[in-house]
Amino acid sequence: MISRRLFLGASSAAVAAELFGAGTDNKSPNPALEKLAAAALREAKKLKTTYCDIRINRYHDQNVGIRLSPERGTGKTLEVPNVNDTESFGFGVRVIVDGAWGFAASPIVTPEEIVRMTGEAVTVARANANITKQRVILAPVKAYKDRWTSPFERNPFDVPIAEKLELLREAAGETKKNRRVFNSFGSLNFHSEDKYFASSEGSSIQQLIVQSFAILNATAVDVSKGLSKSRMYVPPPLSIGYEFVPQMNLKENAQRIREEVLEHLAAPPAKPGKKDLVLMPSHLFLTIHESIGHSTELDRALGYEANYAGTSFLTLDKLGKERIGTPIVNIYGDRTTEKGLATAAYDDDGVKTSRFPIIENGIFTHYQTIRDQAHLINEKESRGCCYADSWSSVPFQRMPNVSLEPGKAETTLEDLISGVDDGILIEGRGSYSIDQQRYNFQFGGDAFWEIKGGKKTGMLSQVAYQSRTTDFWQTCDSIANRSYWQMYGTSRDGKGEPVQINAVSHGCSPARFRQVNVIQTD
Amino acid sequence: MLTREQAQKLSEKILAFSKFPDCAVTISESEEAFIRFANNGVTTSGFTNTRRFVISSTRDQKTGTSLTNDLDDASLKAAVARSEELSAVSPPNQEYVEPISPQKYADVSNWDEETSRARSPILVPQVKAVIDAASSKGLVAAGLFNRTAEISSIANKRGNFGYERGTDAGLSTTVRAADGSSSGWSSHPAVRIREIKGVDLAERALEKCLKWKKPLRLEPGKYTVVLEPKAVGDLMEWLAFGFSARSAEEGRSFLSKKGGGTQLGEKMFPAMVTLRSAADDRRFPTSLWSQGGLPQRANTWIQKGVVNSLAYDRYWAMKSGKEPSGGVGHLVLEGTSASLADLIKATERGLLVTRFWYIRSVNPQTVQLTGLTRDGLFLIENGEVTQPVVNFRFNESPVRLLQNITRIGTPQRVAGGEGQDMIAPAVQASNFTFSSISDAV
Repeated sequence: MISRRLFLGASSAAVAAELFGAGTDNKSPNPALEKLAAAALREAKKLKTTYCDIRINRYHDQNVGIRLSPERGTGKTLEVPNVNDTESFGFGVRVIVDGAWGFAASPIVTPEEIVRMTGEAVTVARANANITKQRVILAPVKAYKDRWTSPFERNPFDVPIAEKLELLREAAGETKKNRRVFNSFGSLNFHSEDKYFASSEGSSIQQLIVQSFAILNATAVDVSKGLSKSRMYVPPPLSIGYEFVPQMNLKENAQRIREEVLEHLAAPPAKPGKKDLVLMPSHLFLTIHESIGHSTELDRALGYEANYAGTSFLTLDKLGKERIGTPIVNIYGDRTTEKGLATAAYDDDGVKTSRFPIIENGIFTHYQTIRDQAHLINEKESRGCCYADSWSSVPFQRMPNVSLEPGKAETTLEDLISGVDDGILIEGRGSYSIDQQRYNFQFGGDAFWEIKGGKKTGMLSQVAYQSRTTDFWQTCDSIANRSYWQMYGTSRDGKGEPVQINAVSHGCSPARFRQVNVIQTD
Repeated sequence: MLTREQAQKLSEKILAFSKFPDCAVTISESEEAFIRFANNGVTTSGFTNTRRFVISSTRDQKTGTSLTNDLDDASLKAAVARSEELSAVSPPNQEYVEPISPQKYADVSNWDEETSRARSPILVPQVKAVIDAASSKGLVAAGLFNRTAEISSIANKRGNFGYERGTDAGLSTTVRAADGSSSGWSSHPAVRIREIKGVDLAERALEKCLKWKKPLRLEPGKYTVVLEPKAVGDLMEWLAFGFSARSAEEGRSFLSKKGGGTQLGEKMFPAMVTLRSAADDRRFPTSLWSQGGLPQRANTWIQKGVVNSLAYDRYWAMKSGKEPSGGVGHLVLEGTSASLADLIKATERGLLVTRFWYIRSVNPQTVQLTGLTRDGLFLIENGEVTQPVVNFRFNESPVRLLQNITRIGTPQRVAGGEGQDMIAPAVQASNFTFSSISDAV
């Protein structure tokens, strides 16, 4: 139970720590959070809103990095560390008045401020109601009282910074051991979201999500040729604790990228033309994200994102009909996938998350939805895709983990490669760009290997491929089996105005695409 | 929001919590009101208050940084202690530069009281004007109208203190045909909200949308282009990294010479190209200091086609025996009095580009970018806009764009969507590379 001192001058940090610390048991939300939320719900009722929810959230981010660069003039390797730790705590209140949304947010988490900002949200909603043609209709949701934590064994924020720095110094140093590597960089980033949600429909939900990220980068420069190339190692970013960090094998991978960046620097440019592609999960995840993840967002199809992120080629008339890929292409949305970056027990509408098909046997069958959209496509419930990136941001439809089902049990990566006469294997994320309706895209990668006569050979440089979403997925003729399936992801997917970010994972096995247009870049 | 005196007092209090020889505090507070609309109605909107305290503590060249948004003494004390803990375990920064001494910042404030207070009574009528204009033509409008009021202060234990406050606003809209067959876009950023008129903005977006009917499918290839100011602004920010003296000397920039050295002093561009940083331009929101707390300086990066200066951060300046220059922000590409219509009139055959979308770096060294045209691509023939054109993907570098410039128009502030906030003119340029067709509307 929250102590009285929390509202009598204790520090906000202490309030947050007590609010989000362990409760009387670990299955129920902290009653102190419920008490704070009640202030908003009471005020909203008094002001005759038809709906109200409040999110009281605390975010914690830690970034630890080491860069090794040559000193100007001497070439001596200098070490540049970066250590920072950030916290953010506040609340946001959402209301519906006269069929229109209103929202207000503040970093001052007191009952008085919550009451005041609930009033502000109502003011916003009333003004909007005058020019709102379509009244908000929310799909029904059960009232939940629950507490959920993403699984982790070792809280990364409890691990000494010195331990993290030592690991990074060793890895970055390993990469820089060859003096032909110009500079190297390594970082470990950790993120946690303590989230509390309460609604006028009776839900009270407390969640904690912990995520871990790492990156190693090496750059090599050939001044005589005017060339600069890089190679990265990015372990899968996951909702996981520090226990994953030793499994990243940073030192071994540092040695690998040390060699590969030099090979990349010397690699010949790709010859443009139609080629078969074998795309590894560390690369294909982003192609899935951009071409399928975003095109199947209902808010885009409805025009809500027309002014910024864009709309979608998958208009409502194509639901259940449009062929996106070959029959082996099965893609699903899933905010319950273990360790996924978008994984949660409940979304920011208070909807229990689930798994649902998006592409079945190559056909587009379902959109990603939230509560105020479901009725627009005659669906009875939300698919739980509501998210706001901060207590100060308005919740809206964001991408769940969107993943590609693995292929047949007997299909191996070697099978994919051996079936290619003239092609390229691509690893890692590089340059990526797609139009505002998700038709035309161009993707680069972090590393490229030529495949000749069914064998992976030397590295190539200056590679990108261009295609059209449906053309591309209809060239997918083979996907490796489940043993190759890996989840990669992105933590900074931008959408909405004002822009919000989202962290999301995409699982897949290596897949092969036939006769895709490869271009030679600068 | 905190006044200058309150921010100074609070900074002093935070610095007094510090036990380390050096401590720096940045305080920022922001209030934002916004209305987002789509399908000719309001979707989400809000009123938000945020604040941040960034605290960096340093001892023996070891720095730790913490950030909190808690205002009370105990939280601030804890944040200072946290930054000191982080500093204590950090290795020394071998590119360390001493904290800045007391600086003199310009005593100006681009603050507009009306903008700072604007709420629904001011925002809603402009949004309604856009929606009504679109509805009256059977079109569908989406967009955002937002305004911010911000204060920021910096202080350190060496006695430096700076305070700034500013306002900004922006209305943008995309107007589409109800069947999704055409699209037009327009925006207006302004420090003073009263300059923004929904009616004018809607007219420009509507005109593009109504004109973009039955677009021509042209072959990808090299085209003469007339880029509207927003399209120019979308590309220019990508040049910024290349002006870094460090990356140029280290062989990683378009300003690196093969075999070593930089292009400083070389005439790389036509004489009509002058690119500079001007944070004091009143069209930009207030910005009195650049990274590291140095007062903003006016820098001319390209002077009449010649690479005139490189950007030195404090460390690289110290190692090079130069003065630090500040960053490559608040860009102004100088222009002429020529209008967009003049540029179109002077084009025999080319493409008129409204704006670009989803721009990403393909090769950081050559600044080759890829992206797409959006919300209004038209064919110009014999000095007139004749037909709409199906959108293209481009693969092109702003370096080559500036090298291929043939005419320049009148600069204006552009912001939002892609690209950084800058003051850019429309330009006419030859040989712009479009690499494939996009069917997106």
